Formats: sequence, C-alpha cells, structure tokens
Amino acid sequence: MRRIGIWLAAGGLLLATAACGGGGGGGGDTGGSAAQSLSVGFVAEPANLDFTSTEGAAIPQALLVNVYEGLVKLDQDGKIVPLLAEKWDVSDDRKTYTFTLRKGVKFSSGAPFTADDVVFSLDRVKTDWKLKIKSQLDVIDDVEKKDDSTAVVTLKRPSNGFLYAMATRLGAMFSRTGVDDLANKPVGTGPYVLGAWRRGDSIRLDANPSYWGTKPALSSITLKYFKDATAMNNALLTGGIDVISSVQAPESLQQFADPNRFETVEGTTNGEVVLSMNNGRPPFDDKKVRQAVRHAIDHKALLDTAWAGRGQLIGSMVPPTDPWYEDRTGDYPYDPAKAKQLLGGKTYNVKMRIPNLPYAVSSAQVVKSQLAQVGINAEIEPLEFPARWLDQVFTKGDYDLSIINHVEPRDMGIFADKSYYFRYDNPEFGKLLASADEGTEQQQIDDLKKAAKLLSDDAAADFLFLFPNLIVAKKGVTGLPKNAISESFDFTALSRQQ
Amino acid sequence: MTLYLLKRLAVLIASTAAAAVVVFAFMALLPGDPAEIALGVNATPEAVAELRRQFGTDRPPLTQFLDWAGGLLQGDFGISYVTSSPIGPQISDRLGVTAVLVLGGMVVALVLAVPAGTFAAVHHRNPLGAAISAFSQVGIAVPAFLAGILLVFVFAVQAQALPSGGYVPISESPGEWLRSLLLPWLSLGLVQGAVLTRYVRSAVLDVMREDYLRTARAKGRGATGALWRHGLRNASIPVVTVLGLQLATLLIGAVVVERVFVIPGLGDLLLNGVAGRDLLLVQGVVMVLVAAVLLINFVVDVAYHLLDPRLR
Amino acid sequence: MRGRLNAGLLVGGTLVGLVTLAALVSFFWTPHDPTLVDAAQKLREPGGGYLLGADKFGRDTFSQLMVGARTTLYVGIVAVGIAAALGIPLGMIAGMTPRGWLSELIMRVNDLVFAFPALLLAVMLGAVYGPGTLTAMIAIGVATVPAFARVARAATLQVMVTDYVLAARAAGRRRPAIALRHVLPNIGSVLIVQASVSFAIAILAEAALSFLGFGTRPPTPSWGRMLQESQELLFSTPRLALWPGLAIALAVLGFNLLGDGLRDFLDPKLRRIRAER
Repeated sequence: MRRIGIWLAAGGLLLATAACGGGGGGGGDTGGSAAQSLSVGFVAEPANLDFTSTEGAAIPQALLVNVYEGLVKLDQDGKIVPLLAEKWDVSDDRKTYTFTLRKGVKFSSGAPFTADDVVFSLDRVKTDWKLKIKSQLDVIDDVEKKDDSTAVVTLKRPSNGFLYAMATRLGAMFSRTGVDDLANKPVGTGPYVLGAWRRGDSIRLDANPSYWGTKPALSSITLKYFKDATAMNNALLTGGIDVISSVQAPESLQQFADPNRFETVEGTTNGEVVLSMNNGRPPFDDKKVRQAVRHAIDHKALLDTAWAGRGQLIGSMVPPTDPWYEDRTGDYPYDPAKAKQLLGGKTYNVKMRIPNLPYAVSSAQVVKSQLAQVGINAEIEPLEFPARWLDQVFTKGDYDLSIINHVEPRDMGIFADKSYYFRYDNPEFGKLLASADEGTEQQQIDDLKKAAKLLSDDAAADFLFLFPNLIVAKKGVTGLPKNAISESFDFTALSRQQ
Repeated sequence: MTLYLLKRLAVLIASTAAAAVVVFAFMALLPGDPAEIALGVNATPEAVAELRRQFGTDRPPLTQFLDWAGGLLQGDFGISYVTSSPIGPQISDRLGVTAVLVLGGMVVALVLAVPAGTFAAVHHRNPLGAAISAFSQVGIAVPAFLAGILLVFVFAVQAQALPSGGYVPISESPGEWLRSLLLPWLSLGLVQGAVLTRYVRSAVLDVMREDYLRTARAKGRGATGALWRHGLRNASIPVVTVLGLQLATLLIGAVVVERVFVIPGLGDLLLNGVAGRDLLLVQGVVMVLVAAVLLINFVVDVAYHLLDPRLR
Repeated sequence: MRGRLNAGLLVGGTLVGLVTLAALVSFFWTPHDPTLVDAAQKLREPGGGYLLGADKFGRDTFSQLMVGARTTLYVGIVAVGIAAALGIPLGMIAGMTPRGWLSELIMRVNDLVFAFPALLLAVMLGAVYGPGTLTAMIAIGVATVPAFARVARAATLQVMVTDYVLAARAAGRRRPAIALRHVLPNIGSVLIVQASVSFAIAILAEAALSFLGFGTRPPTPSWGRMLQESQELLFSTPRLALWPGLAIALAVLGFNLLGDGLRDFLDPKLRRIRAER
C-alpha cells in the first residue's frame, strides 16, 4: 500500500506543478505586461559579443541594427537606405562620400554620436579588426570630420562595394568610450541594449529608452539558443519560444501546419550552400574532375531529400535578390554518364570534411551517395563547428571536399582571393570583379554576370542550393523579416498582436 | 577508523593531483595554438607572439601547469581565450545546474527503486515480483535520451502540461524552476531507477538468506519487519556502492539529457568548449568532473567503512 | 543448479543471436544498399521490398538496421576486448599479490582511470583525433578497464585461498603458472558475465555518443545515429525512431539477460561477485 502511495504522490506533484504554470512555458510569455516581450529561437550562440575580432554569423545576427547601427542599412529588398546618416552625397569622380549625420543621436552609454565616432569606427576597422572581411574596406583612403555632423570618406578608387560594405558589420558605429569590453559589453546607438546574457542559454535585449528613432514595440526580446533542432521545434510547440528564426529540420514543418496556432514565413537568404572543392591540390586541381562532380550531382534530388525541397537551385554564387542574378542551373545538368566520361574511368578516394551542422550532414550523405555512382569515393568527416572546421578546412585548407552555407551578402568576391580555402586561381575572375567594383552600375551588373558564369564554367565549386529563410512563429507575431539578406536578424519591426 | 580516514584522504589528494597532470598533459596534445586560432588566417607572427604572451602560452609547460594548478587551489580557473571572461564562475554556475539535475534524478531513482526492489525480493517467488524484475530489465535497456524524447512527446507536446525544455533559475521563479526540471529528473530517474532496482533486489535477497534473518522469521516475526530492523544496514552496503557509481557516471552522462532538454549544465559547457576550441575551459570542466568523481568515490569508501561493521 | 538452462539464458541468447545473425548476414546480403540515396523512395511506407519502409533519403530501414547491428557488435567487441585485455591481467596481478605495492599501484591507477567515464573520454579523444567509431570504441574500452580489473581482482582473491591453489603454492609452483593453470580457468565464468554486461553498456554508450555527434560517422548506419536522424520526423513518421530504438533496447536487454543467465548457468557460487556496471 505504501508503494502505491508513493506513486500517487509523484503523480500528484507532476499534475500540481503542471497546473500552476498554466499554458505558458519557460519563455515567461504569459500575463499582461509580458505581452511586451518576445522570445526567438536561434541555432548558434555567439562565443562572445565582439564581431570585430571573432568570426561567426551569430554575433552580427543578434547585434547589428538592433544594438549597433551603421550610417546606412539594407532594407528588405536589399536596397541601401539611410540609418545614422540622414543622407550622403557622392562626388562626380565617385571617390568622395560626404555623410550628413543624424542629430541628437546618443550611444546607450549617454555619449553623443558625432563625426568623431565615424572617424574612430572606420579607422578602427583598419587598426583593430581581426576578421578577413575587413579587407572590403581597404578601399578607404581617408576618413575626416568636417564638422560634428558631417563626415567625409575618401576612397582610393571608385567602388560600388564600398557603400554596401558600410551596411554590414564593418560599418557599425562604435563609441570612442565604449570599446573596452566589446566581448561582454556592447555600446551602440540601436533601439535595443544588452539586457542580460545567460551563457549557454539566452541573450536578452531590452528596449533602449533613449533611442533616437521610433521606439520598438516590444520592451524586450529574448534570443534563446538551441543546439538541437528538435528541441527548438518542441519549444515553439509548447510555448517556450514565440519564433523559430531559422528552421533546421525542414521535414518537421508539418508540425506547424495548423494556421490557427502558427504562421510560416518562407523567403530567401544570401546563403549559398556550396560544395567546396580544393582547387589547389589533386584531384580537384583538375578542372575535368571538378566538372565531373558538378555533372554527378542531382541537385533536385539533393534538395528534396536533404532539405525537404525547401530552398532554390541557383547554380552559381549569386542569390536571386542580387541585381546580377541569372539562373545557372543549366550549366551542368545531372548527367552521370558524362561525369564518368570526364573522369576517364578513373576512381578517386577523397575526404569530405564538413561542419557538424544539420544541412551539411544531410547534404553530405546525398553527395557521397551520388559521387559513388560515378567512381568518387568521398569519406565524410564531420568537424565541430565553428572552431575545428574553421581551423582545418577554412584556415589550413586541409580538405578535398566540404559543404558550407556562405551566408555573407554579396560574397562572390571570396573566389577572387586565391588564398581563400577554395584555392581558386583565375586572374580573369579577379579582373572582372575589379572592373565591376570601379565601373558604373550597369557595368557592375554586366561584369558580375560574367564573373558568375566564369565561376560556374570553371566548376570552381558546386552550388548545391540557396538556403531558404524559413521562419515559424506563433500566430499574431508580426514584423518578421521575410528575406534574410543582411547579416542581422532585424528585430526593429517585430511586435505581437493581442 | 581515523587512521583509515587519513590514509584514504591522502589517496584522494594524490589521485586528484595525478588527475590534474593527466588532464593538463592531454590538453597539451590538442592540435592548434590558441593564439593562432584566436587571430585567424591573416594574423602576423608578431600579433601571434603578442597574444601568446598575453595568454601565457609562451612559457614552458611546467610553469604553465604549476600556474594553472596553483590557480585551481584558489578556485581560479583562468580567463577563457575565446570569451575573454573568467572560467571559474561559468563552471560553478553550470555545476550547480548539473548537480541539481543529477541529484534530483537520483532521488527519483531511489524513490522508485527501494520499494520496488525490496518488494521484488520479498515476493521473488510470485508473479508480481518477477514482473518488477522483468520491468527493470527493460528499463535498463532504454537509453536515457530516448526516455527523454518520449517524455517530451507525451507530457510537453501532446499534453502541453510541462515545458519541453529550457531551464529557469530558482531565483527567477521557483515554480517554473520545478516545472523545467520535472521531465529531466524523470528521464534520468526512470532509467537509473531500473538499474538500482536490480541491485536493491539482489542485496535484499542476499540479506534474507542470512542466518539472523531466518532466525527472526522462525521466531514468527514478519519478514518485512525483520528486514526493517536487521537487514537494512547490510542491504544498504552494495546499494550505496552502486549509488556512488551511478552518481559518478551521471555527472557527465547527464549531458545527453541536457541536450534533449536544453539545460545549460556542465556537460553542455564541455561540448560548447570543445566545439569552440576553448581549451582552457575544456581543461577546467574536465578537471572538475574528474575531481568530483574522485570525491564521490572517497565518500562512498568512507560510507562503506561506516556501514560495514566487519571493516571497522 | 549448474548447467540448468534458465529463461534469462534462453531469451538473452536468442536476442544476442538475432543481432549477431543480422550482422553476419549483412556482410553478404542486405535487401538494398543501406547508404544509397534514392529520392524516389523518400519516406516510403513499408511494403514491396521495403520491409520497414525508407527514411527521408529513401534508404531502406531494414538494411540500415542490419548493417547497424554490425556497427553495434563491432563497437562492443572492440571496446570489451580492450577492457578485457588490459583489465583482466591487471586485476589478476592485483589479486595474486594482495599486499604488495604493485597491487596497490594498480588499484590506485584503476581508480584514477575510473574517474574518466566513457562519455568524457570520448569527447576528449574526439577533440584531439576527431569523432568517429574508432575513438568511441577506444574511449568506451579504456573506461571499462576498471570494471574488469576490479571483478578479476575480487574473483582472484577468492580463488587464491582455495585448497588447490594453496597446494600448488606449497608445491612451489611459480606465480605465472598458477595464474594460467588455476586462477584464469576458475574466474572465467565471472569474466564472461562481466563481458556480457559491459557489452550492453558499450551499446548504450555508442548510442549516446552518436546522438551527440561523437560516434559513428555518417553515412555508416548506426542505431544511435538513425535515432538521432529520425527525431525531426518523430511526429509524422514515428516508425523511423521506433525501429532503431527498439533495436537498441532489445540488444541491451539481450546482453544483460545473457549475462545474468550465464552467471546462474555457469557457477551459482560466484554470484557474490557482481558484474560492475
């Protein structure tokens, strides 16, 4: 009898605590005032909050536009629009940019934002930043303060990429007194400030009470981090979070099919999921072998099995939201016989070193199976992301094949750098990119179309698919960005209907 | 007893010191220079040398070890190369969470196993006792993460009664704290309870065969009563040993449950450290885990001596 | 009691036999190539040559289970092999020289190794050499050494005070000879039981490691990874999780029952020395 009593007591405890919490979960989203807050699930937690010295998309995703602001930003259509600069004038030789700054802007520390901060921030890119992408601002010759609200940037040569780079994290404005502990204490001008960081769990951003622009509708946003895709799905199903920022298990989407409870947003990203081939060493230094790989892969089947058919086949390094996009999927149609012929009956053993991320692990198994059909035996080696993959593949270039989602916007230029882990080396490509950057808008489009075609023809890599922007939210959440085409997850428009 | 305690304490200290050497030596094997990793591809040799000096990794290994070990004695685990924040507070936060998770799981296991195992032993000849034995065999065979996934499916997703994951500190909301831990406790407790049930059963069976218990039963006292008065201490010896073993393996073993339920515990911190090449952090976490196991063994051994009159 | 067949032995033997049979047959034949991606068969329902259906890659679940059995046995055999090869001699030496410094040293080192559980070792080794089946096997094997050493020592201590060993020692036999001729045969049954229990634990450890991404690499089928991959389809296609989950549970159950059954079958007297988990 005693034993049965214990069972009942245990069951009772379970029910009692289950009842007292109501329908809500750990997100603290129940009750009246809590409607002002929202919690959003993300995949990767930042290692620290300093995107000037630490690689990783998670940091700008959380902080850019939300905590840090630049002079300009990208809107939903990929257009460059004013942010901290009210307007900017470009000289006739397209080498001098005069930014007129917004007045009355303050950093969250209380310090006013002036042209001195612009000079400070842009100089700092050159002197203190440690990221490879900082070379995008190498084109800057000089930054000067004209008066408190006017900053002048002089370029070494005309550049179409300059203003665009200014809309990325490179253009983020820092306070002269706010860079002592970037890893833990970000100081920006944005609509949100860092509230609390529970490492390994979540980051809370609170509305910035002294924000210069339209105050955000929410008083706080919690970014909750999940290593496991299923755990994130479950959290939305049970009310632990309100939004899944990026679905990592697309097969599971039908769980959220009920339109009375959930809403799914599907758009595009800048993320090209690339099957990288090491152009610098055998066997992929041989163009024929690379071409064989491109013919051997059935991209439609890959997308259908590895990522539930979500996403888009693009065939080169340009997403459809860029003006120079062309559908290049016809360059290398699925043709295993042609692939075998290109290989000349030879077989190869290669290492496929991939990050241990869901899309890469899924895609790799399909690639392996399809390459095996034409005589390329690829051994899959998942490496922990980010550190181990960055170290072995990205930094040391010790790989034959890899799969990674290149999320940076307008990143075709990485192929022009022959020290980049692709080890792709074609001077023609570099020339096209340089002339595109210096030329007029139309010439930029023409040159970049040619560059994308060259990349595809050379089979510098294989472009598996364009990563979809898949967001699932509780019904009533509005202001979700349909397309993820900048580096940040823009929270500024987010709100919740009652 | 005092002599034993002193001797055992000396062994504990020596083992912990040896463990520190092993852990440090092992981390030195890890490929990759932390300074190079932190600076990335474009780093100049001067910058790398400067950062090495900052990290202190330019010094001889012995100096580094003594420095690290000396810090440990004062509870200082150093500053992370990656997050540039002190490691000690992170570890103690996470250790607290894992300790609550594991201890709660063990309480559930005990609450299930002691009555179930005793019942199965006392009634080992009838079908109900046999059924409990069989059931515990099945319980042992289920991986803890599978139990967790199933519990989430039933209680969180279907019944919407409990959160599917996440952890709320007790200081924020005691009610939510309890709710967030119930399913993780259950998934650890059910599996470990099944293991424990079998040990309780066989320990009680052994005790029941002892002469004094037979005598007590022959005198006409009930089996349960006699067991309660005489057998408990003897039966508890092997159970305490197993309990210690389980605790020791669960500290890291709970990592799968931490993963399923998104609980920021010590195992989760370790995996993050490995993924982020946060070597000093990994070193610290491994050391804490190993030291904890050594400490648990120490406590078990001492408890063993206290419980077993023959050894006193 | 000795030699009597019991239920545990029968059920356990049958389950282990089935796993072994599946693994052996998979070397020569599986219904389909278990790693062949076939978009046309994506999430195919069971039937028509696909006994248990196919996963999201169109791979035949039944074939994957068969090859998965191979991975499971492989991990178990190597891990238990490492543990036995190191643990048994060490335990016997410690048991035969119970008061010596060597015995003390062995048991202290043993306790130290015990402080590094399999999961921890696997994560550490994975960090150095990269995750994979081999690192998992070595980690599980090394972590299991202490269990074997302890059981071997306890059993040896008991054997050392038996009349025939005392007689052999009195007759001036050398220790290695006694170890081989008298001790090993007499502690064999305990060790077999320990091996069986350790095997079960190794299976669970491999499943946990694969779940965390530190185990068998894709696309080599492993029950733990099948379970992990099936998670996102738990709602729509639960059978994908059901089969590998069931396979793990039945294999572990089989080895545990076999261990218990063997203990009763081989030598009921040695019941006192319990297999270490």
